[in-house]
Amino acid sequence: MSYAYLFKYIIIGDTGVGKSCLLLQFTDKRFQPVHDLTIGVEFGARMITIDNKPIKLQIWDTAGQESFRSITRSYYRGAAGALLVYDITRRETFNHLASWLEDARQHANANMTIMLIGNKCDLAHRRAVSTEEGELFAKEHGLIFMEASAKTAQNVEEAFISTASTIYKKIQEGVFDVSNESYGIKVGYGGIPGPSGGRDGSSSQAGGCCS
Amino acid sequence: MDLVSGYKGMVGLVFGNENSGSSEDSYVERLLDRISNGALAEDRRTAVAELQSVVAESRAAQLAFGAMGFPILMGVLKEERDDVEMVRGALETLVSALTPIDHGKGPKNEVQPALMNTDLLSREAENISLLLSLLTEEDFYIRYYTLQLLTALLTNSPNRLQEAILTIPRGITRLMDMLMDREVIRNEALLLLTYLTREAEEIQKILVFEGAFEKIFSIIKEEGGSEGGVVVQDCLELLNNLLRNNASNQILLRETMGFDPLISILKLRGSTYSFTQQKTINLLSALETINLLLMGGPEAESAKDANRLLTNKTVLVQKKVLDHLLMLGVESQWAPVAVRCAALQCIGDLIAGYPKNLDALASKVLGEEPHVEPALNSILRIILRTSSVQEFIAADYVFKCFCEKNSDGQTMLASTLIPQPHLMTHAPLEEDVNMSFGSMLLRGLTLNENDGDLETCCRAASVLSYILKNNIQCKERVLRIELEAPMPSLGAPEPLMHRMVKYLALASSMKSKDGKSSPTGNLYVQPIILKLLVTWLADCPNAVHCFLDSRPHLTYLLELVSNPSATVCIRGLTAVLLGECVLYNKSSESGKDAFTIVDSISQKVGLTSYFLKFDEMQKSFLFSSAKPAQPRKALTRSNAASMAEIEDVEENDSSNQNEDHPILISTFDAQFVNLVKKLELDIRENIIEVYSQPKSKVAVVPAELEQKSGESDGDYIKRLKSFVEKQCSEIQDLLGRNANLAEDLAKTGGGSISQPEQRAGGASERVQVETLRRDLQEASQRLEMLKTEKAKIESEASMYQNLAGKMESDLQSLSDAYNSLEQANYHLEKEVKALKSGGATPSPDIDAIKAEAREEAQKESEAELNDLLVCLGQEQSKVEKLSARLLELGEDVDKLLEGIGDDMGLPEDSEDEED
Repeated sequence: MSYAYLFKYIIIGDTGVGKSCLLLQFTDKRFQPVHDLTIGVEFGARMITIDNKPIKLQIWDTAGQESFRSITRSYYRGAAGALLVYDITRRETFNHLASWLEDARQHANANMTIMLIGNKCDLAHRRAVSTEEGELFAKEHGLIFMEASAKTAQNVEEAFISTASTIYKKIQEGVFDVSNESYGIKVGYGGIPGPSGGRDGSSSQAGGCCS
Repeated sequence: MDLVSGYKGMVGLVFGNENSGSSEDSYVERLLDRISNGALAEDRRTAVAELQSVVAESRAAQLAFGAMGFPILMGVLKEERDDVEMVRGALETLVSALTPIDHGKGPKNEVQPALMNTDLLSREAENISLLLSLLTEEDFYIRYYTLQLLTALLTNSPNRLQEAILTIPRGITRLMDMLMDREVIRNEALLLLTYLTREAEEIQKILVFEGAFEKIFSIIKEEGGSEGGVVVQDCLELLNNLLRNNASNQILLRETMGFDPLISILKLRGSTYSFTQQKTINLLSALETINLLLMGGPEAESAKDANRLLTNKTVLVQKKVLDHLLMLGVESQWAPVAVRCAALQCIGDLIAGYPKNLDALASKVLGEEPHVEPALNSILRIILRTSSVQEFIAADYVFKCFCEKNSDGQTMLASTLIPQPHLMTHAPLEEDVNMSFGSMLLRGLTLNENDGDLETCCRAASVLSYILKNNIQCKERVLRIELEAPMPSLGAPEPLMHRMVKYLALASSMKSKDGKSSPTGNLYVQPIILKLLVTWLADCPNAVHCFLDSRPHLTYLLELVSNPSATVCIRGLTAVLLGECVLYNKSSESGKDAFTIVDSISQKVGLTSYFLKFDEMQKSFLFSSAKPAQPRKALTRSNAASMAEIEDVEENDSSNQNEDHPILISTFDAQFVNLVKKLELDIRENIIEVYSQPKSKVAVVPAELEQKSGESDGDYIKRLKSFVEKQCSEIQDLLGRNANLAEDLAKTGGGSISQPEQRAGGASERVQVETLRRDLQEASQRLEMLKTEKAKIESEASMYQNLAGKMESDLQSLSDAYNSLEQANYHLEKEVKALKSGGATPSPDIDAIKAEAREEAQKESEAELNDLLVCLGQEQSKVEKLSARLLELGEDVDKLLEGIGDDMGLPEDSEDEED
């Protein structure tokens, strides 16, 4: 149960794009074709390893429906990473990305890492949004981008892990004050930031501002 | 403001009844005026302080303040953040305005100023937002009063505040931050969050997202765990609010912090012998947390939920929770009963339906070398010895859970059931430490028999019934157990089962001896032993065989099932037991087979009355109320103290004398109730089958009826004769049974047997109905008769009518003839006159002839007329006679004759003419 870091994630995006399925695939390695509508938020967790360090991911899967927006906004600020999901077979879910992003920028901390995911890429024959469009949107807004499928598990691990790597890199670069838990990052007991901080110049800088 | 003006009207109304009102009103108004318009800072501060003190003391001032004050004070909070003293004063005043003043006077339906003020303040979400922003202020008192104010708002109008806080971005984050504040603030924030999380699931989740678990456990640790004060209790209450029915939060706790911090609260350390009330409550709260992790959600949904529970159970046992629970529930001699019960219950929940945990419990040993013993033995000892009903129920629950779907565990326990030599059973109670589980249980089953106290015996019987449940091997094995007779000189050893039946009988005899004031124990002794027997005999022909081995058993059951002094439950279970003797009877021995038993039931009890026992039991409180385990009541500050002292409530609670005794309720759990319901269906079906298809004793094989070759006539006749004799006796038998059934049927017809008055009433009614029916029949018969008579008369009347008509027409023609004669006569006369006047004098002749002819004609017609008259007279007298008769028969003669009368008129007329 010990970990070097704990990252909090949120998953956001329109209703029905497959947020809960992505989480289930990531935590339980299962796919459930029929999933109940998420009410409010649901929780999932998994341990991953980055740079040989155990990292705990706490993931909050939010309800996509408009009526839950005010509740789900409460989760933005404390999250270190966000998976912004759309459905490549439904154009409107892509069109709504801008409003989701705006919400996130407004309520989350500025350093939140956002990963854009075009889900359901197994349904290529019904594609309504091209990969290039997704890439372009991500580039314009400074997001990481990936197409994935919760059904076939394609890129699911990668999406969660590469988000974590990005956050991890930001920590190494001293972007975060890791002692402040409001960034959605917690230093655990299992991994001691001290030694790595000793080796890494930027980390020791972060340590310096803590003391 | 619109709102305020409306409120003013309201206030005016209220003040109308209160004499001092108007002066307070103007005083408050003046103070508010000084606050909003005052020039000197010092003067304004004094005004706020004065306002606070008056609002804190007078309801009238609270009302007056509510009417005018909110905009002014909210303005202060918004605009004058720099003036700490003003802000403090304003907040304190608001707290006072929202705190009910209880002078214990005034009518109940009076306006509650505190509630109205809450309503006014919380109506604007903006106000809540403003208050939350104050939580970041430097000044301690500002944060403190703000929290108090929010708590007051929450107590008075929880929903509105929950909603407001949810919609304010980072609202909950601010509140959570307060948990890391100074102690006073922290404690206040804890209370606030506890209120806030009672129901709102979303708030529970956000709190957890914000790291509530970490903070809660760190406070608990700081405060000393279970040894800590009321703050620990508050923390645990908050924790329980976050976990209750919230699968997501349970997963989060398990997956991130793990259950270690929770389990470590249960760890007894230091002064393990002292349990203060606070410590008891803390431990009970932590045990409730464990319970919440083990309980299914309210809708007990889906595989997902089952999966969650399973994982929780696994992780808890991995974390050694069982050791701590056993310490609290079994080992610690100082733990209060409430804690022991809760711990035992958690053990039961932990192992229920989960093989790994069952094994873990089975292999646990307690105590220190060399005095170790299996944990299950210790729990059995609690069952046999405790003086607390609650503790017995809790320990009993552990065995119930242990044996449920655990045939290996049952077999393990049953394998140790070996009777000890006689001396051992009479060893002092304390020397059972080295006994095996089975020996202890057997001793419990037979203990105290001589004192006439069957309490221990029935508790042991309860455990034994779990061991036997659905396990044929165990049932057979325990069947073979034979006990020495109480006094070795008194005959051969008897099977354990027979001993149990003996105790069953003993319990009822004790009851009748003591009369109404029998100890509460006997209320459940018989049901528990019956439950054991019902469980034992279920699906086990050998057990049925063993049970019926002793003839008096059946007789006793037949007596008990219709014993009016036995409870509904006892009679019902006895009926089930009898039914099992039929249902699972594989015996063909005469006098013990299913057929004989059905016969005895129908003869001694009557089938209807027998089946009635099932119905009565089904309708009883215990059956209708049996439900799967309900979640326990949440432990809160208000009820914690009473929950901590459950010790022996049953002693002074008279309602427990009835069938809702806690032991009975736990005996009749949902599973047993379902078993009985299922059995009942099978029994009904089986008995009807046995009855409708009597096994014929004489096989009729046509070939055998023929004379065999080489068989002498004499032998053949002898053989046939014996065959006929056998058949004859069977027919006799069947006739007898038929008579029984008929009698039964007759009883059913007259209403239920247990209500003789109603039956009598029914019979007398029936007699009456019979009489009435007869009367009715008679009347209708008579009516029929009269109808035919009437028809006859009618036809007669019409005949006469026809006759009359004919007569009339005769008369008519006659009078026509007469008329024509007269006319002819007249003509002739005229002719004669003419002739006479013509000169010739043949007139005398003519006259003479004429007179002669006339005379002749007249004579003729007169004779005819006379005949007619006679005839008419006859007819008339006939009609008169008939109408008299008709009148007698109630026929309306005039009406009947209406049509005829008109016709009759004519002949009469002609008669008149004639006269």
